[in-house]
Amino acid sequence: MSNVVIETRQLTKEFVRGESKVVALKDANITIEKGEFVALMGPSGSGKSTLLHLIAAMDRATGGEIRVLGEDLRKLSDGDIARWRNAHVGFVFQSFNLIPVLSAWENVELPLKLTKLGKAARLDHAKKALELVGLGDRLDHTPRQLSGGQEQRVAIARAIVTDPDLILADEPTGNLDANSARDALDLLGRLNREFGKTIVMVTHDPHAAKSASKVRYLEKGELLPIGQKPEDW
Amino acid sequence: MLKHLPLIFKNTLRNKRRSILTILSIAASLCLLGFLLAIYNMFYFEGSSAEQALRLIVRNRVSLANPLARSYQGRIAQVPGVVETTIFQWFGGVYKDARDPDNFFGRFAVEPEKFLRVYPDYRVPPDQYKAFTDERSACIVGRKLAKRHDFKLGQRVTLVGDIFPVTLTLTIRGIYDSERDNENMVFHYDYLNESLTGGLKDTVSTFILRMASADDATRIAQTVDAMFRNSPLQTKTETERAFELSFLAFLGNVKAFLFSICAAITFTVLLVSGNTMAMTVRERVKEVGILKTLGFTNGKILSILLGESVLISFLGGVVGLALTVLLCTWLRTMPSTMADMSRLATPPWVLSTSLAIALVIGLVSSFFPALSASRRPIIEAMRVTD
Ligand SMILES: Nc1ncnc2c1ncn2[C@@H]1O[C@H](COP(=O)(O)OP(=O)(O)OP(=O)(O)O)[C@@H](O)[C@H]1O
Ligand SMILES: [Mg+2]
Repeated sequence: MSNVVIETRQLTKEFVRGESKVVALKDANITIEKGEFVALMGPSGSGKSTLLHLIAAMDRATGGEIRVLGEDLRKLSDGDIARWRNAHVGFVFQSFNLIPVLSAWENVELPLKLTKLGKAARLDHAKKALELVGLGDRLDHTPRQLSGGQEQRVAIARAIVTDPDLILADEPTGNLDANSARDALDLLGRLNREFGKTIVMVTHDPHAAKSASKVRYLEKGELLPIGQKPEDW
Repeated sequence: MLKHLPLIFKNTLRNKRRSILTILSIAASLCLLGFLLAIYNMFYFEGSSAEQALRLIVRNRVSLANPLARSYQGRIAQVPGVVETTIFQWFGGVYKDARDPDNFFGRFAVEPEKFLRVYPDYRVPPDQYKAFTDERSACIVGRKLAKRHDFKLGQRVTLVGDIFPVTLTLTIRGIYDSERDNENMVFHYDYLNESLTGGLKDTVSTFILRMASADDATRIAQTVDAMFRNSPLQTKTETERAFELSFLAFLGNVKAFLFSICAAITFTVLLVSGNTMAMTVRERVKEVGILKTLGFTNGKILSILLGESVLISFLGGVVGLALTVLLCTWLRTMPSTMADMSRLATPPWVLSTSLAIALVIGLVSSFFPALSASRRPIIEAMRVTD
C-alpha cells in the first residue's frame, strides 16, 4: 500500500435546499500522506467542515472522487462505512460531544463496543487511552464533572481508543481556554509524532495551525493551491 | 445488544421524573389490563373441574325468578344416566343488618343427603353430617363464612325471608370444606317448605342433577327439556358451568365488553408512551449523530432507542402486574357477594399476555420516532443544538 492516506479528485459537495443551491466544496484535490498533520484553515463558510465530513464519510460527495485509507468511499454501503469509520477513523468535535449519562471511562469504551473485544479488554483499552491523555484519575467522572479541557481530552481518548489510522478534528480548540487548547494541541502533536497518526485538523487559530506540519487554506468552497492563502488573511 | 444495556439503562435514568411517570402510567394501565384478563380467565377458562362437569342445573325456561314444580324431580330422576338429583332453592332473605355486605351470603334450601351426594366435594365430618341430616332446622355453613362471622357449632341463626314470607331459625350443625366456595349456608328444603302456604309451597327454583358421565350432558339436558316441552312450566337444563356463565350474560356480551376495554387501555397507553418516546427520541438526535460518528450503524441505533422504550414499558408492565397479582390475591379473600372471586387467579397466560402487550406497546410506541431518528444523516443530526 502506498503512503497516501487521503486522496480526492475534483471532490464537490452541493447542498440543495428547495430552489437554492450552495456549493460548499468545489473540485477539491488534496493528497495527504501517512504521518502528516494537516491543518485546514479559511474563513467561516469556506467549506472546511464539509471537506472533513467527506473525508470521514459522514456525508457523501455530490461529485468527484475520494479515497481514504485505500477505500473508495463512494462504493461503500452505509453499514460498511459505519464499520469502516469505527475501525479506522477517530473524530474530535469542537463541542466535545460526550454522552452525558456515561462516565469518562464508559464514553471512551463506547467505540470498542462495536468490536469483538470482551468487557475486560474494552475497559483496559479505555483506561490506557485515558491515561495517555492524562486523565487516568478521572475514569468515573461524568462529563459534567469535568472541565472543558478535560472533556476534550476524553473526546480525544475516545477518538484514539480503537487505534485508528486517521484522526480528524474540527476546531478541537474552539471551545477551550488558552491553556486547555495548548494541552489538546500538544496531545494531537504527540499522537502524530509518537504514534504516527495521520491528522487532519480544521482550525481558525493560527497558533493551533503551528502544531501542524502543513496548512491548507480554503476559500468560498475552493481548496487553494499549496502555499496560497485567501486574500486579506 | 446486551453490551448496550448500560447505555440504555442510564438513558432511562436521565430524565428520572419522566421515566417514572411513564412507568407508572404504563403500570396503572397494565394493572387494569391484567385484572381484566384475570376476570376473563376466571369466566371462561378457570374451567369446570371434573366434578363440576358432572352436574346439570334445571330451571324455568323463562327466568330464574319463575319457579318449577317440585313434582318435576321424580321425572328428572328417571332419565337414564342421572345418578342423583337435589332441590336447590335460593332462599335470599336477610341476616342481621342487610346494609353490611358481609351479611349477604348464599343461603340454599336443599335435600341434605341428596345434596351432599350431588356435591361430594362438600366435605362434612361424619358426626356433623349426622347432626345436620337428622335435625329439620339444622344447617351447615362453609369454612370461610364460619370464620368471617365466627359461627360456632350449635349457634342459632335467624334469617328473615324476603322472597318467602317466613322467618327461619336455623341451628348450625356442621362446617363444610370444598374446593369452590366456602361461603354458603345450606339447610333443609322441607323445613322451608312446611312453613310455606299458597302458591310458593312445593315450588323449586332449580334442581341440580348429577350424571354418571359428563359425556351424557347434552343428551340428558335435551331429554329433560323435551320432557317438559308441553308443560305450562318449561325447563332449561344446562351444565353448572354454563349456568354460571349465563349470569354474566345478564351483563351483556361480557367477552366483547372486556375485549373492548382492554383494547381501549392498550390504545391509550400506546398514545401516552408514544408521545413520551417521541419526546425522548427528539432529545437524543444529537446523540444519534455522535454514536454514528463512532461507527454505530442505523440498525444498532434503532435497537438502542427501541431498547430504552421497551425497558420502560417492561418495568411498567412488571410493576402493573405485581399490582394485579396483589389485587387478585386480596379479592380472593373478600366475601363473594357479587360473584365467586375465589377463582380469580393470575395464571401464567394472563401474566405473559399482559407482559407481551407491555413489550409490544414499548416497541410500537417508539418504533417510528426511533426509526426516523436512526436514519437521520449524521451531519444533520449533529447540527441539532441542545
Ligand atoms: N447541511 C447543509 N445544508 C445547506 N448548506 C450547508 C450545509 N452544511 C454546510 N452548508 C453550507 O456550506 C458552506 C460550507 O460550510 P462549512 O460548514 O463547510 O463551512 P466551514 O468552513 O466549516 O465554516 P465554519 O468555520 O463557520 O465552521 C456554507 O455556506 C454552509 O452554509
Ligand atoms: Mg466548520
